[in-house]
Amino acid sequence: MLSKSAARTFFLVGTGLCATAFILLTLDTISRVPKQSHEENLTPAVHRGKDLWDSNNCMGCHTLLGEGAYYAPELTRVYDRRGPEFISAMLRDPAAMYPGQRQMTKYGFNEAQIADLVAFFQWIGNIDLNGFPPSPVLASSAAPPIAGAAGGPPDDGRPRVFGQICVACHTVAGRGGNVGPVLDGVGDRRDAAYLNRWLHDPGAVKRGALMPKLPLTEAQIAELITYLSTLRARQVTP
Amino acid sequence: MKYNSQRVAWWFFATCMLLFSLQIIYGFIMAFAHVGLDGLHPWIPFNAARATHTNLLVVWLLAGFMGAAYFIIPEESQRELEWPRLAYVQLAALVIVGVTAIIGFHLNWWEGRKFLEIPRPLDFLVVIDVLLFIANIGMTLWKSERKTTTALVLFFGLLMAALLYLPGMIPTANQTMDSYWRWWVVHLWVEGVWELIMGAILSYLLIKLTGVDREIIEKWLYVIVGLTFLSGILGTGHHYYFIGTPRYWLMIGGTFSALEPLAFLGMAWYGISMAKRGGRAHPNRTALSWTVGCSVLSFVGAGFLGFAHTIPQVNLWTHGTLITAMHGHMAFWGAYGMIVLAVISYTLPLLTGRRLYDAPSATFAFWASNIGMISMTLAFAVAGVTQVVLERRVGMEFLQVQTEIQVHFWGLILAASLFTLGITAFIWNFIQHGKPVGELDTSRDAVEPAVASAPVVAAPSGAE
Ligand code: HEC
Ligand code: HEC
Ligand code: HEM
Ligand code: HEM
Ligand SMILES: [Fe+2]
Repeated sequence: MLSKSAARTFFLVGTGLCATAFILLTLDTISRVPKQSHEENLTPAVHRGKDLWDSNNCMGCHTLLGEGAYYAPELTRVYDRRGPEFISAMLRDPAAMYPGQRQMTKYGFNEAQIADLVAFFQWIGNIDLNGFPPSPVLASSAAPPIAGAAGGPPDDGRPRVFGQICVACHTVAGRGGNVGPVLDGVGDRRDAAYLNRWLHDPGAVKRGALMPKLPLTEAQIAELITYLSTLRARQVTP
Repeated sequence: MKYNSQRVAWWFFATCMLLFSLQIIYGFIMAFAHVGLDGLHPWIPFNAARATHTNLLVVWLLAGFMGAAYFIIPEESQRELEWPRLAYVQLAALVIVGVTAIIGFHLNWWEGRKFLEIPRPLDFLVVIDVLLFIANIGMTLWKSERKTTTALVLFFGLLMAALLYLPGMIPTANQTMDSYWRWWVVHLWVEGVWELIMGAILSYLLIKLTGVDREIIEKWLYVIVGLTFLSGILGTGHHYYFIGTPRYWLMIGGTFSALEPLAFLGMAWYGISMAKRGGRAHPNRTALSWTVGCSVLSFVGAGFLGFAHTIPQVNLWTHGTLITAMHGHMAFWGAYGMIVLAVISYTLPLLTGRRLYDAPSATFAFWASNIGMISMTLAFAVAGVTQVVLERRVGMEFLQVQTEIQVHFWGLILAASLFTLGITAFIWNFIQHGKPVGELDTSRDAVEPAVASAPVVAAPSGAE
């Protein structure tokens, strides 16, 4: 039978060996992380953004690199998914981008701070995370994946900005958010002129419109009008 | 109770009860926010509620460990605490730091890293406070002739816990490294040194409650903590899969963390088999239920549910979802919540001289809280699996998925209510015991049965 002193030896030797291995691996990791995380792009702005991220405990609602709380969206790839304009608008006034939804704190950041946070998200988005977050595997069988989420250019003709900003609130072909109305068939309901005015300033078309005035360029608006006009009833993109 | 200074343990346990109640209130605030009832948002935003919930948890568990140590160390080393007054000062300091931190959270003052939210200046105070505690029990142990394995394992567990708090303070601008060091605290605590503390308390309780020979119990204690470190140290790698660290962690972390359940399986086997061997001689059956219950549920929560998402191929999908919350609740409860409640159940009659372990409230507390927590775990599990499928596999928008799983948070609230009833009964029982006025127990048999050194003792207690 095992004696007490043999048990103690097992404990001491096992712990010693594993602790040594762990420290060696840690040294190796420290030497590799700068490359894997692209530390060369870690500018002072990114650093300031991280400080803002920490000092406001954004991780108490969101996850980042899969760590944090489960109350608000995972933000590792948010730069890719939503783009800088959306993120900036969100940080200026969260309620404007997601009216009537689960609440995010309104922080009153100034424009420089917002730029720092955007830089931070851009840097985070470029870390090599060994395949996380995974792309949705069941998505293709149901409908085309959200453009931004897949990273690459969309293949059903939707402009990139649509995949980043508009899907946060609108659904097309069964995919997207439910803050605004479903946009399938909007090409039947609205003509190009209306869409043009709407996208420049919803409030000017309809008093008290629930859609915010979005930071879109003329080129993006033109692209969006072309795309929205193709969304006809009964021939929803497969 | 044999030494006057053991009395301080009662004040630590009373603090536990208070902070635990507050923790539960904040849990409800978050659960209601998840179903859309977030009216408190302007004053207690979700991140403040969450930081309060988890930090109160950690503080009450630490207070429980300290109380347990102040009870166990004098008894094991057979002398009074070295500086009894210091123990009271150190408790007061811990409470003041904790309360300051929690008020700070509500004013947006924190460090903003999960589980390490306490602002930096307060971090240093925590370390100083814990070092005072370590010095106190360390001196008591050092000056004693009798250094038992149980006491030594407990002491080193607590010392290492204090030291491992330090890596969490290494400054870095790189989020990946920040996260790397954070896990040295979080993982190496709960899956490393805290298991030493838990194992030592478990072994102390088993020696007292079952009467099985100390040599046998302490031998297995070494085997269990040996397994803990053999798997748990390199098992840290299961947090290094997807944070920007090298790919080899997938293999190393996956392999070693998959072995971690062995230590918990050991604990479960240990609790059950020692209780069987000892013939359950001790009259305090409630304490024995908590002790054996702890050894079993720690395996379910940490071992089984931890294993369920520790393999890299699975964790890729479940990483950072409600699956983690499911595991976190059951593991913290089964391993650390229950060991503290076990030690309280055992020591309270000795500290106060009242024996209320047969009261209906004691039995009800055990069953209601455990059934409640198991149901809460199920509610988190269903919500978590649904979230993984819809958000990660199908690619639905986050907020849309949250609407789909709202119903499970109503389930969570129901289950949590049962849990809360159980804890209320526990606290009621605690209050009924009154303050620590127990006479010093020089005859050594008023409550405890005489424990001889024979392997099995079935001495019926005079108390019953
Ligand atoms: C009280 C909880 C809470 C806190 C704190 C919080 N957020 Fe949010 N955040 C949310 C919620 C909820 C959403 C989802 C949109 C909504 O309902 O407003 C969100 C959405 C976002 C989005 C858009 C994500 C997307 O995919 O559309 C960004 C970017 C964001 N938050 C950044 C931050 C930053 C940066 C901080 C810290 C300065 C922060 N958040 C703090 C709750 C929070
Ligand atoms: C913050 C959420 C939000 C975002 C982002 C958003 N919308 Fe909207 N949208 C709405 C809401 C809400 C309405 C309904 C407004 C109303 O009727 O008051 C709406 C209405 C519309 C309409 C009119 C639909 C109809 O049938 O009359 C169009 C077209 C539209 N949005 C296009 C877009 C495009 C294109 C984008 C991306 C550039 C976009 N929206 C981004 C919320 C949003
Ligand atoms: C009593 C012991 C344990 C406790 C208290 C515990 C608690 C926790 C907590 C609170 C988290 C979330 C941490 C964070 O995100 O900051 C977590 C994560 C995790 N735990 Fe444990 N745990 C224990 C044991 C185990 C064991 C034995 C295993 C494996 C077999 C395990 C596997 C995991 C994994 C894989 C994660 C990461 C989840 C993710 O990717 O989001 N745990 N644990
Ligand atoms: C009884 C009522 C309780 C309720 C309603 C409750 C609810 C919650 C909720 C909603 C969260 C946040 C999940 C998120 O980020 O969205 C949470 C986190 C957490 N709770 Fe509780 N809780 C309760 C009790 C407990 C108890 C008794 C323990 C420990 C023994 C505990 C340990 C934790 C831990 C460790 C986390 C962090 C989990 C993680 O990050 O993965 N809770 N709780
Ligand atoms: Fe871990």
